[in-house]
Amino acid sequence: MAEAQLKKAYDGQWIPSYRLKSAVASQRWQGFVVAMLIVCSTITLATTVGIIVMLVTNSIGFFSSDKVELSKFLTDTQWTLGQSQGEIHYGILPLLSGTFRITAIAMLIAIPFGLITAVYLSEYASRRTRSILKPALEILAGVPTVVLGYVAIVFITPYFLQSLDDGFKAFNAASAGIAVGVLCLPLVTSLAEDALQAVPKTLREGALGLGSTKFETTMKVVLPAALSGIVSAFLLALARAIGETMVVALAAGSSPTFSLDPRLQSQTMTGYIVNTFQSDTVVPGSIAYHSVYAVAVVLFLITLMLTLLGQWVRRRYQEVYQ
Amino acid sequence: MQDHVQTKRDRSRRWFDSGFSITCLLIASLVVVILVCLISGILWQGAPWLRPSFLWNAHHENQPNESGIGQAIIGSGMVCLICGMFALPIGIGTAIFLEEFRPRNRWLKWFHNLVQLNISNLAGVPSIVYGILGVTAFVYMFGVFGKIQTDRPSDYEIGIHYMYQIKTIGGDYVTFPCEDKFQTLYSVDRPLMVTNAKGETFELNVLPKGASRPSDDGLRSRSVFAGKNASITSQKEFYHMQLPFHKSALAAGLTLALVILPIVIIASQEALRAVPNSLREAAFGMGATRWQVVRGTVIPSATPGIMTGAILAMSRAIGEAAPVLAVMGGVLSSTLGLTNLMDSTPTLPVTIYRWAQDDNRAFEGLSAAAIIVLLLFLLVMNSAAVLIRYRAEKNKG
Amino acid sequence: MSTIESAGSPVSRVRKIMPSRNIADEPNAHAPMGVEGAAGRGPEKMNDEGLQPAIEIENFDAFYGDYQALHRVTLRIPERRVTAFIGPSGCGKSTLLRWINRMNDVVATARAEGKLRVGDIDVLSRSTNVVDLRRNVGIVFQKPTPFPKSIYDNVAYGPRLHFKINAAELDNLVEWSLKKAALWDEVKNRLHQSAHGLSGGQQQRLCIARAIAVGPKILLMDEPCSALDPASTARVEDLIFELREQFTIVIVTHNMHQAARVSDRTAFFYQGHIVEEGVTDQVFTKPKQKQTEDYVTGKFG
Repeated sequence: MAEAQLKKAYDGQWIPSYRLKSAVASQRWQGFVVAMLIVCSTITLATTVGIIVMLVTNSIGFFSSDKVELSKFLTDTQWTLGQSQGEIHYGILPLLSGTFRITAIAMLIAIPFGLITAVYLSEYASRRTRSILKPALEILAGVPTVVLGYVAIVFITPYFLQSLDDGFKAFNAASAGIAVGVLCLPLVTSLAEDALQAVPKTLREGALGLGSTKFETTMKVVLPAALSGIVSAFLLALARAIGETMVVALAAGSSPTFSLDPRLQSQTMTGYIVNTFQSDTVVPGSIAYHSVYAVAVVLFLITLMLTLLGQWVRRRYQEVYQ
Repeated sequence: MQDHVQTKRDRSRRWFDSGFSITCLLIASLVVVILVCLISGILWQGAPWLRPSFLWNAHHENQPNESGIGQAIIGSGMVCLICGMFALPIGIGTAIFLEEFRPRNRWLKWFHNLVQLNISNLAGVPSIVYGILGVTAFVYMFGVFGKIQTDRPSDYEIGIHYMYQIKTIGGDYVTFPCEDKFQTLYSVDRPLMVTNAKGETFELNVLPKGASRPSDDGLRSRSVFAGKNASITSQKEFYHMQLPFHKSALAAGLTLALVILPIVIIASQEALRAVPNSLREAAFGMGATRWQVVRGTVIPSATPGIMTGAILAMSRAIGEAAPVLAVMGGVLSSTLGLTNLMDSTPTLPVTIYRWAQDDNRAFEGLSAAAIIVLLLFLLVMNSAAVLIRYRAEKNKG
Repeated sequence: MSTIESAGSPVSRVRKIMPSRNIADEPNAHAPMGVEGAAGRGPEKMNDEGLQPAIEIENFDAFYGDYQALHRVTLRIPERRVTAFIGPSGCGKSTLLRWINRMNDVVATARAEGKLRVGDIDVLSRSTNVVDLRRNVGIVFQKPTPFPKSIYDNVAYGPRLHFKINAAELDNLVEWSLKKAALWDEVKNRLHQSAHGLSGGQQQRLCIARAIAVGPKILLMDEPCSALDPASTARVEDLIFELREQFTIVIVTHNMHQAARVSDRTAFFYQGHIVEEGVTDQVFTKPKQKQTEDYVTGKFG
């Protein structure tokens, strides 16, 4: 279309008209794209199905073995699979107690410190302190867990714990617990801060307007209003701590103990799984190999329940202010 | 007018209030203290070991001075590349499906909700469970391709040639073709055509048992005693593939892809959700099909967000040790290095883990040096993410 | 070029010089969507009831889930006129507008029954090609929504979507659209800069340019000026008045003065019903219904 033609077009009541692209072709192309996207989405479902099928079939392989009974799995207080010789014991309680000790210590650190940091960030912090604390938390959250495991065995155990008490073994529950606590702290902080931020400003202004101090406003108005969000943060952090692997594989040692003493070695469920797969001595098809899946079923169920519970609690509080 | 009376109780309330805020500040700054201690401690341990040769040497048992992370860096790079190639397109695709294609069809709607629910649960699954899945589904493939074992050649493979190798009396190695790859030893009892290291092909001279050694050097290097066993060896092309994947970089990369898939999806969903609906409506109003709206309008606007999420997911993958450890075992070095996707390879996090466990305490320092390198990689990636976010915000404002 | 620039003339002048053209004489012009009967009727005969309708609506019901937003609406919208929908918030005027090019398809719970025809297209039919419909019925929204691309790419978006068009033709088409939207002079030197650098009023005119670049016969405008300052509003109103020469325009507005200024015909909506419809002057000065009178005199709304 030449300049002259354009001029004429503008002058008159010309309307853009060109040969049209095929609408059918673009519809078909869209159909193809949607099909591809559905295939992509199916992969996440396949992952879940894969996990469940794998856990069920292989733990059936474990429990159907002549040497294994379910009742002993649940009640025996010794676990010797993965150790060298001797009688075979496969009670999950020692592994559970290891997980429990480490998780408890981790939560003792992560929950109070994480929550107070969240309260400070949400209610008190000036822009400047925020601009230091937020990136620090983000960096800490991004530190690979194997690094924290390293810190636990190289620094926390020898320089901190063993100087407190001689009873601490080279590998112990306490150092792993502290490191896992540090690892969960940013998670607790960011989730709890989200919950606190979701509390409407009008609520705070109302309390302050009635003459409450900031402390009273925070304690009596903001925290209760954000409670379910905070609880959900705790639950998700707990699930994270239970599933944490590298820190415990490094710092908690490789012998399961049925005890509450944080100074002892304490292999966890995750630690057992990773140690078994790492060693070349465990043959696929053996009892030790199948036991991994039995342990994984317990681990998976516990974390899944905590995650679901956390989401359920969170969804409830989101409904309140939306 | 009533005067304001400050009672005792009022004053103690004030005091308590400011005391609380100071306590909060102290506890909150603990995060910074922890971070500083962590980084300075690692620098203190690792810095002496950070030498150029550390970056390209391989691991050597009991020789900390000769050891390095060359293979681990290449291994981590390869594993993350595989992981990204699968997780990013699939994750972003799933996010687009979930956010942009909300179906009306009843079955698709059900599928849509199921996928959404499933992703938030997958995000809470511990990474070691993905590791077990990787072992079962990729390393052994549920035993679908034969009995579960790793030391036996696969029935389904390409890019690999098997041959037998035998040492002659003269001490040279010669090879000859192999007919049955499952027979690992072959007893030589009759003359065969063999090839030596120089590429010369000749007939092997088989001497009866108990015969005297030939005196001629040339003859010695072409002779074996009858009944000597030849062992199987293989030569792999760079495209070597097999089913199941065995303990390989490919299996590890795919496993990591499953680990970060929920992270990629959730981050991309958030980026897509941040695109204002008015843009979508405007494009629809122009007569664009849904896919044209997504490709031409939504994706360009969401790209910075999606890229930030992708980078954060990849930095999770690069630091992840547990699934890799489960899938490939605790490999510290491989003699030939990574020559194809079916090789197992050390990665940075696994190297850090194994060195930290080593009985030789010097490896603790090496481990810290490897941590420094890993943290530097993460720093670079995160800076890129921050930069992208910053530029996107600047463009918007 | 002088003829082209006269496009930017103020409304008053356009009103005076508005030509009474026979469309059939225009070699390039498309035949109107109806029959040729509309030909020869000049826009100045605004109260002509015999106009060929561009949009026919009969017994039209619209729902969001269980909520009925429109009740048995019947309306004929004449071509090459500006028709204004007025009424208080939630009266259904935007709903009707968004049904005309099926923008409500995006809303999962929305559905509608009754007759709604645009030219010879049955809008509500399942077999209707929505892409074709929207190419023929453009829409401009309340908030200016330029894509985060260059000004050029914004205008070229639609043509690239629908037309087999070469680069030179596209350049000309972009220029034509921007001139038609009275924006060319302001942006001709920065066509390849981001559209987000424009002012709100310019952005809205860009959206109009973008909408007309695909050659629609009808332009829907959903409160196009409510996010703009008074000066920008005046420019967009001028533009609407000029575009009427060539496009059928339906405009939803909260602002009764705006309706009075720009529209030829006005429909007053109240609680999902059309209470009154007619020539704008008559609706505003001699409304037949009490409710209309109350609304236009500001007793409620």
